[in-house]
Amino acid sequence: MKLPSLGFGLGLRKEHYNTIIDTSPNVDWFEILTENYLVDGGKPLYFLDKICEKYPVVMHGVSMSLGSADPLDMDYLQQVKDLAERTNARWISDHMCFTGVDGINAHDLLPLPYNEETIKHVSNKIKQAQDFLGRQILVENASTYITYKQSYMTEWEFTTAVAEESDSLILLDVNNIYVSAYNHGFDPLEYLDGIPAERVQQHHIAGHSQYDGYIIDTHDHDVVQGVWDLYAESIKRYGEVSVMIERDDNIPELPELLAELQIARDVFHANISSSKVVSSV
Amino acid sequence: MSELHRLQKDMMAWLMQKDEHIKPDIIDTGEVNKVSVEQRLAVYGNAYGYRLIDALSDNYPAVHTLMGDDDFYEMSYSYIAVNPSAHFSLRYFGHKLEGFLASYNKGLPIYIEMAKFEWALRNAFDSKNIPTLTLASLQEIPVERWGELQFEFHPSVSRIDLEWNTPQLWAAIEEGADPIAPEQLEHPYAWILWRKDLLNYYRSLDVDEAYTIDAAMQGSDFSSLCEGVCEWIDEEHAPARVAGFLSEWLNEKLLINIRLDDA
Repeated sequence: MKLPSLGFGLGLRKEHYNTIIDTSPNVDWFEILTENYLVDGGKPLYFLDKICEKYPVVMHGVSMSLGSADPLDMDYLQQVKDLAERTNARWISDHMCFTGVDGINAHDLLPLPYNEETIKHVSNKIKQAQDFLGRQILVENASTYITYKQSYMTEWEFTTAVAEESDSLILLDVNNIYVSAYNHGFDPLEYLDGIPAERVQQHHIAGHSQYDGYIIDTHDHDVVQGVWDLYAESIKRYGEVSVMIERDDNIPELPELLAELQIARDVFHANISSSKVVSSV
Repeated sequence: MSELHRLQKDMMAWLMQKDEHIKPDIIDTGEVNKVSVEQRLAVYGNAYGYRLIDALSDNYPAVHTLMGDDDFYEMSYSYIAVNPSAHFSLRYFGHKLEGFLASYNKGLPIYIEMAKFEWALRNAFDSKNIPTLTLASLQEIPVERWGELQFEFHPSVSRIDLEWNTPQLWAAIEEGADPIAPEQLEHPYAWILWRKDLLNYYRSLDVDEAYTIDAAMQGSDFSSLCEGVCEWIDEEHAPARVAGFLSEWLNEKLLINIRLDDA
């Protein structure tokens, strides 16, 4: 079941540990990169424990490889479960992708073909993961650069079908929709219209890099106006949803990200009154 | 094999070997921004190498600096080709680098030794948090039973021997100081690396302390350690010498357990 919004969050990055602990910035919650804390001890877990004392935390992973033909890595999932218990994580998310196959990890969010075979395969793995973790998980739409000939439905139809089949929730990355819409030439508003509001638990907002003819989802720049505009459209469709700024590279000082988070608040308040969603399910 | 599995194998073959079997499975959307299938696949192909090289550089920043960008990238692509990642976390990518460099045609001895040093630091950084003992723990044990004492070291502790001025080079690189030249020493020096609270430390060891740590790590008791150090000092001074080491190890938070045979 969809949980109430946590408000406006940031990705927790090591560059900001001390500032967060010393100044308790105006951030409603933090998203942690799960794999960064699947270690035995030392600084990462020390600072994480400190921050968990002050803020709600959610976990965002890149290694569940829900689309891979390989089975789930149960050792990894056990570590995820243990970390969720340690941090009292409000929820756990990963991506609609495969990250490798036959035991080799590419450490990238590789695209899937959008068809019935994949819907069944991914949904079964999500169900297994949810059963093991004892909770619903969120699955994020990845940005993509190719389309397989084996795809015969849109990404949003595929995403919705998997969410319904596996009874999972959706982490809707607004920047990824913007990036993929540009790269594949689809209408991002059609994408938003195709996603069921009752499944959207969280948004990511991020920056990207524009190249000649395509955009790469680099998370190393400020959020562009086009992504803010798309976020405004998502508010009109999904109402109040936990949202956070995802910055992974070229990381600025915390005040700069707090200023960007304030933009998210402003966009939200300017658009929530025209939301079609009356309340969270 | 399912069609999904076949597609994924072909995609991985593209990333790892630039095998183009995946190409016919990709829709040519040349009408969208005039971007070809080759350009689209290159986004993934390039990112695969860049991401793993970044991980190697994060884990081995001083090796990267010593080699310089061009040689480090060339070496990294060679490493990646024979050691693709099989772990869920990039934190552990590069764990075979020291061994790889030993057989790499441009693997100078200083690079190999720096890889060993940096991997030990990496492991100390996020090794398990286990409470360490204080001098009071030792003082609780009756002196007449000290001979039976055995010692357990914190999991962050590494004992390595170095033939080059590797720690000095690493420190200069870490601090951004003026570069110093790699220098081979007249004989190998013993070092320990460990984490105390949240910070990594390292120091060199005199030959008798190196022996004592190595033997203690292998389970020798206090009496055996005292006999062992007699190779370097008088028998009557041996217990005090070993007790001095113990005191230092406790101050440095190297020990997590002191055991008696019946404990």
